[in-house]
Amino acid sequence: MNKVTQRLLGPLTLLSLVGTVFLGLWVTPKATMHDGGGDLVRMLYVHPALAWVALYVSFGTTTIASALYLWKRTRSATMDRVAYCAMEVSVLFIALTLVTGSIWGRPTWGVWWAWDARLTSTAILLVLALGYLALRRANDDPETRARRSAVYGILVALNVPIIHFAVTWWKSLHQNATVLTVSGKVSVHGSMLWTLLLSFIAFTLWYFWLLRARYRLEVRSDDARQSHLAAAVAERQREGA
Amino acid sequence: MLRRSTESHSGGEVVVAEGDRVDMTPVVLAPRKRSSNFRTIAVLVVLAGAVGLLLSQGLFKNLNYFVTVDEALAQKHHYGTTTLRLEGVVQKGTITRTATGASFVIDGSKSQRVSVSVSGTPPQLFQANIPVVVVGHFISATSLHFTGNQILVKHSANYIASHPNRVKAKNGSVR
Repeated sequence: MNKVTQRLLGPLTLLSLVGTVFLGLWVTPKATMHDGGGDLVRMLYVHPALAWVALYVSFGTTTIASALYLWKRTRSATMDRVAYCAMEVSVLFIALTLVTGSIWGRPTWGVWWAWDARLTSTAILLVLALGYLALRRANDDPETRARRSAVYGILVALNVPIIHFAVTWWKSLHQNATVLTVSGKVSVHGSMLWTLLLSFIAFTLWYFWLLRARYRLEVRSDDARQSHLAAAVAERQREGA
Repeated sequence: MLRRSTESHSGGEVVVAEGDRVDMTPVVLAPRKRSSNFRTIAVLVVLAGAVGLLLSQGLFKNLNYFVTVDEALAQKHHYGTTTLRLEGVVQKGTITRTATGASFVIDGSKSQRVSVSVSGTPPQLFQANIPVVVVGHFISATSLHFTGNQILVKHSANYIASHPNRVKAKNGSVR
């Protein structure tokens, strides 16, 4: 990421999030009660974008970085760090997806939670993502940790297409895809559609901002660990001198 | 004389010498590889348990979350009076609010109909011409009356703007 992009990322994220909130709450109209549930349609500018980031952008980052780590030619600590940091951010976005879905589901469906295929497979993804973080803490050796995490990161990504197609493979209470439809047809009216697309951009930018911040923190933590180790070795050498 | 420190570092004890004598005996580290493997296996076992529970109790039991009116009527002898989730579209003009809940008629795609009576408060979006899922059972193996205790509204992926300022013309068109 070049310096200009890094400098612009924060302001662009903030601007797009503010724009989404403004358009979503004050500019876009209510939906009909039959198609959208009146003011409940405003959840459309939050929940699908969170799910998009959680399932495809964030989990995709972990999967690609894990694959690049396992491939000898591109193996590096950077790939391992990116995969790990992306998975941490994934946990946040998957949890937010489940929470906002639940908030939307209560007035729409009439229940906070239903054990349907889409919801359950998403809950499984959250457990698997937490498992990734636990697995990393279980391993002390950096190389073993990175290798095992990369293999695990790729395997758990197999759940993502199951979540995506759950609403078409099986009879689900959850609605079919709104934007990523097989036919490419999107049934969202005018300004509601533009606000929906802006929310996708806003949450994607927020994700990259969070990932960058988490990555920098990880690099500094590694540096601190290295300097502590070097100091400890130096101290022992002084003791032995 | 050697003084043994009470602190430990990286799994081994640090031995600090006094005077000129220095104990440079290599520190024996704890078997970390084995403990890492043990922890990894423990994490994987807990994970397998949690995922297995979600799969067996959640996903596999509800791959198909509901049974449509068409399917239920086609296999009526199979379902009998067992509890199921029945899906159909609420027919216009059939909703009646009762003291305990609501009664209405739901259609299948083959124009097959089932009359439903449900106890409890219907969801906010409950209305005519929308698909709903009713949790309950047929009152008898031959009856077309379904009694339930919960209505779930199955929402579509359509989002159409409401235009309160628009009015209907006499010919029915919207301006």
